[in-house]
Amino acid sequence: MMRRFTKNYLNYTIITLVMVVFAIMALATPMKDSTAFLFQKITVAVILAVSLNFVVGFLGELSLGHAGFMSIGAYLGGKLSLVIITAFGLENNNILVLIVALIVGALCAAACGVVVGFAALRLRGDYLAIVTLAFGEIVRVIFTNSSDSSFGGALGLKSPSFSKREMYILAIIGFLLILFTLFVIQNLLKSKTGRAITAIRDNEIAAKAMGIDVTKHKLMVFVIAAAFAGIAGVLFSYSKPLVEAKSFGYNYSIEILIIVVLGGIGSINGSIISATLITILNEKLTVYMTGDNAVYKDLFYAIILVLVVIYNNAPGLKNFREKYNFKNLFAKIFKPKHDPSKIKDDAAKWDVVPTKIQMDEVLSTDMVIDNTGDNNADIGERGGNK
Amino acid sequence: MKLRKSLALILAVVLCFGMVAVMSSCGGTEATNYAENNTKIKVGISGPLTGGTAMYGIAVKNSAQLAIDEINKAGGINGVQLELVAVDDKHDSTLVSTTYTTLYEGGCQLFLGTVTTGPGIQFKDYALEDGIFFLTPSASGDDIPSGDGGFQMCFTDSNQGTVAAEQYFNTEYVGKKVGIFYKADDDYSVGIKNNFVEALDDSFGKPVEASFTGDAAMFDTQISILKDCDIIFMPIYYTPASQFMKQAATKVKTDAIYFGCDGFDGIDAVDGFDISSISQEVSYLSHFDSTATSGPAADYIAAYKKAYPDAPLNQFGAAAYDCVYAMVDALKASGEEITATMSAQDISEILLDEFKGDFVFHGVTGECVNGQKSNISWNDDGTVVKDAVKYVVSKD
Amino acid sequence: MEFLTILINGLSIGGIYAMIALGYTMVYGIAKMLNFAHGDIIMIAGYTIVLFFPVNPIVGIVAAIVFCAIAGIVIEKVAYKPLRGASPLAVLITAIGVSKLLQSAALIYSKGAIKGVPITTLGAIELFGGNLKIDVITLITIVCSVAIMVALTMFIKRSKTGRAMVAVSEDKGAAQLMGINVNKIITITFIIGSALAAVAGALMIFKPQGVEPTFGAMPGIKAFAAAVIGGIGSIPGAMVGGIVLGFIEAIFGATPLRDYVDAIEFAILIIVLLVKPTGILGKKRREKV
Repeated sequence: MMRRFTKNYLNYTIITLVMVVFAIMALATPMKDSTAFLFQKITVAVILAVSLNFVVGFLGELSLGHAGFMSIGAYLGGKLSLVIITAFGLENNNILVLIVALIVGALCAAACGVVVGFAALRLRGDYLAIVTLAFGEIVRVIFTNSSDSSFGGALGLKSPSFSKREMYILAIIGFLLILFTLFVIQNLLKSKTGRAITAIRDNEIAAKAMGIDVTKHKLMVFVIAAAFAGIAGVLFSYSKPLVEAKSFGYNYSIEILIIVVLGGIGSINGSIISATLITILNEKLTVYMTGDNAVYKDLFYAIILVLVVIYNNAPGLKNFREKYNFKNLFAKIFKPKHDPSKIKDDAAKWDVVPTKIQMDEVLSTDMVIDNTGDNNADIGERGGNK
Repeated sequence: MKLRKSLALILAVVLCFGMVAVMSSCGGTEATNYAENNTKIKVGISGPLTGGTAMYGIAVKNSAQLAIDEINKAGGINGVQLELVAVDDKHDSTLVSTTYTTLYEGGCQLFLGTVTTGPGIQFKDYALEDGIFFLTPSASGDDIPSGDGGFQMCFTDSNQGTVAAEQYFNTEYVGKKVGIFYKADDDYSVGIKNNFVEALDDSFGKPVEASFTGDAAMFDTQISILKDCDIIFMPIYYTPASQFMKQAATKVKTDAIYFGCDGFDGIDAVDGFDISSISQEVSYLSHFDSTATSGPAADYIAAYKKAYPDAPLNQFGAAAYDCVYAMVDALKASGEEITATMSAQDISEILLDEFKGDFVFHGVTGECVNGQKSNISWNDDGTVVKDAVKYVVSKD
Repeated sequence: MEFLTILINGLSIGGIYAMIALGYTMVYGIAKMLNFAHGDIIMIAGYTIVLFFPVNPIVGIVAAIVFCAIAGIVIEKVAYKPLRGASPLAVLITAIGVSKLLQSAALIYSKGAIKGVPITTLGAIELFGGNLKIDVITLITIVCSVAIMVALTMFIKRSKTGRAMVAVSEDKGAAQLMGINVNKIITITFIIGSALAAVAGALMIFKPQGVEPTFGAMPGIKAFAAAVIGGIGSIPGAMVGGIVLGFIEAIFGATPLRDYVDAIEFAILIIVLLVKPTGILGKKRREKV
């Protein structure tokens, strides 16, 4: 009972609680603007990170164009709101218009997701990553060169936005949308579809042999991830008076990817936590590293990124990692009697026993040589793709 | 049993958050005047200190610091000292919510706004919402000035484009073949270019246009498009401009004229670019000359070079230097008693009154006649009134 | 004449892309990783040449090549070697991190000011009675890139090390069993790639262009696209991809579509990948199940 609860509903509960407390804080007292902004940014980052993780972690494909999908949501949602608001003479902070913009932004981004998804049917790995990067750049160039009357071009689109004092409303809407995102993605992952997606990740050909419709599932993942990126984009455009194409460059896609990687690829909760922490860290670094120190901020960031990735992934540090990591630390504190070696004997825990079969060994007609690393390297999580 | 434990855990989390909420709310009600604990008057600026446009932000930051050091040495504002807070917005409007709240909640009372236009539009929205006055050195977009508190030290983009076309091209350069070289993804460049094309006389026909994006610096294609033009209007900053000129030196007509805007200032100080080595004439319309050897501008340049020998020097910095002095002079001129703990709103009110009144500032930007400081005043809509000068940097 | 100008511009831009693309393609072929920091090696070369230029331009170029080679080795040993055998995603993200690290270090070093060499051009040659002007640097670029491609192809086909490289790129495990020191081969690849980037950097500097921290970022990404279009892992492919990209830039830059040049380049990249995922000259690999 408890296990199931923590597994399925803990993140909903915590996010709801944070949202309620945040709402009380915002309504009961005048909140600092910076706090409202911070929470608003966190909600956007979480939605982006969770949706990107859906592609990277569960379909196992690298996307470097997530900011492109986001910009489609931001520009089209923002433009639509602008048209509606000027046509009917509404206030900038009309929530109904925002909801319409969210739906349209999500649909438009999803439509582009179909396009990139079709590329994903033919390409994999590094090549697909390049296509997504190129897609993001193309979208950026098109918006940058749009005419003044359409999307504002290089001068940016002046779209409706919430004022500083009302930013907390947008943050609360953001929290609700996080819950929606989690609801859709987590339920999908738990269903037959989710298992099909991970099966494609682990071994596409084996999945096909099992009768899984690879085309449908790959497209679905890209479309859903793009739709949520579009939603994040609409939230983003409502948080600021000016939407500029240069905000959505490939650097931004990389930033989202970094959040996903640091939070743990394939871990939804990890993405939520890391999106929160990195957004806060970003904000605090901007605040404290002012003046001459500002130039050291990026350096610091880059060093941390390289060190973390090496620490987490270096095969040579595997033993060290297994000895000292958060999971084991928690396990030591909370479950002193847990013995992983006996897990296979315990019928109650069979659902957590790793059952992934190296399909390549079963189906392969070739001899498999792991040519990505030294020959003593273990076959990693996605070894099936080789 | 386990369920109860978890409920207890959740309850604890709720309590923690509740306590945080109560604590922050206690602090929150009183915190509208963030400056109450200041010991010095804080001057805030948000600009690109890192990234591709850092050379402009760094010049602004250094110059503001230089002005503040000089003012402090001379006794501050009636004894009250100043302090600079510079935050990095990377020329990215997404970061402005952070930089603005950092400055405002950090207790800044005098605001220099942002260095660049994109972030500036957002900064203006927030500042007006809080009733804050700001005087930006270089955010020249048409959307920046506002009679409610957004004032500029530089000319607006539309002003620059229109003045260049009407006062120079339509009169001095009649009948020449006009080319335009601009940066397609930059609001400053596109803004000036659009206004210029609109104001350009029909007799010129359609000007030849070439553009680039990003930090692109291989200009072969653009040069081959523009190589037959007699005069090339270049509403871009000096870095790409200097690279274009170096690469185009032997390909563009040797008697061609490069005509720039205030972004050109500093072009003759670019490391590794000797402007006398190219045969084309370089002219620009600006409010400052960073090669001045006499007068107030030269004094500023000497002081800047002494304090920051390796740092970039350009009109952005000079404008920021003037901005600090202008606000301090306005406060002094108001006759009100200024304290370090005054709220930003109170100070903004004094400044707005002064700037909308008949306050005239004497600075290093604008036309300095006979070694005297220039006269600078402001329209009620926040745009600046001063004389621009056409500087001819090199002419053979 | 118009057409000839475009042709020469395309060759000149393309030659530089090609030289950078060679580095990408070699590293991808042998270490199976996208070295995102490759573009920033060009920036290191730029700063080195500017630093040594007052001594002697030639000394500057040599110093840049040596410096970049060393930087390539250090980056490979410190950042990439520990990750050999890790997931490709981790390696890619580390490479992105290294790229950011180099750029921020350059910003601290340069204090935001742009640096350059104090020359205007190396002069131009006039043809057809002055109707056609070709910069000397353009000629040098074209000659250099062709010479380097030929030399590189010879090196890989004829020398022992070169053939060892081919072996490692075909099958690392088998190559190791045959007694090839894979680590040494990877290091050599990085040295050659970085040295080529230094040459590209030198050609850009003498174009002449100013150096700033993002000096190599955009040429890097474009060259990377060139490597993919030509067929990543293939040396003539990098050359062809670079020239194709150079022509696209020159041709579309002269039309009203000029503002969309980047988008067009990337769109062509996508089309090439969709139609022929291995690129124009890439070898078809049998998919292992």
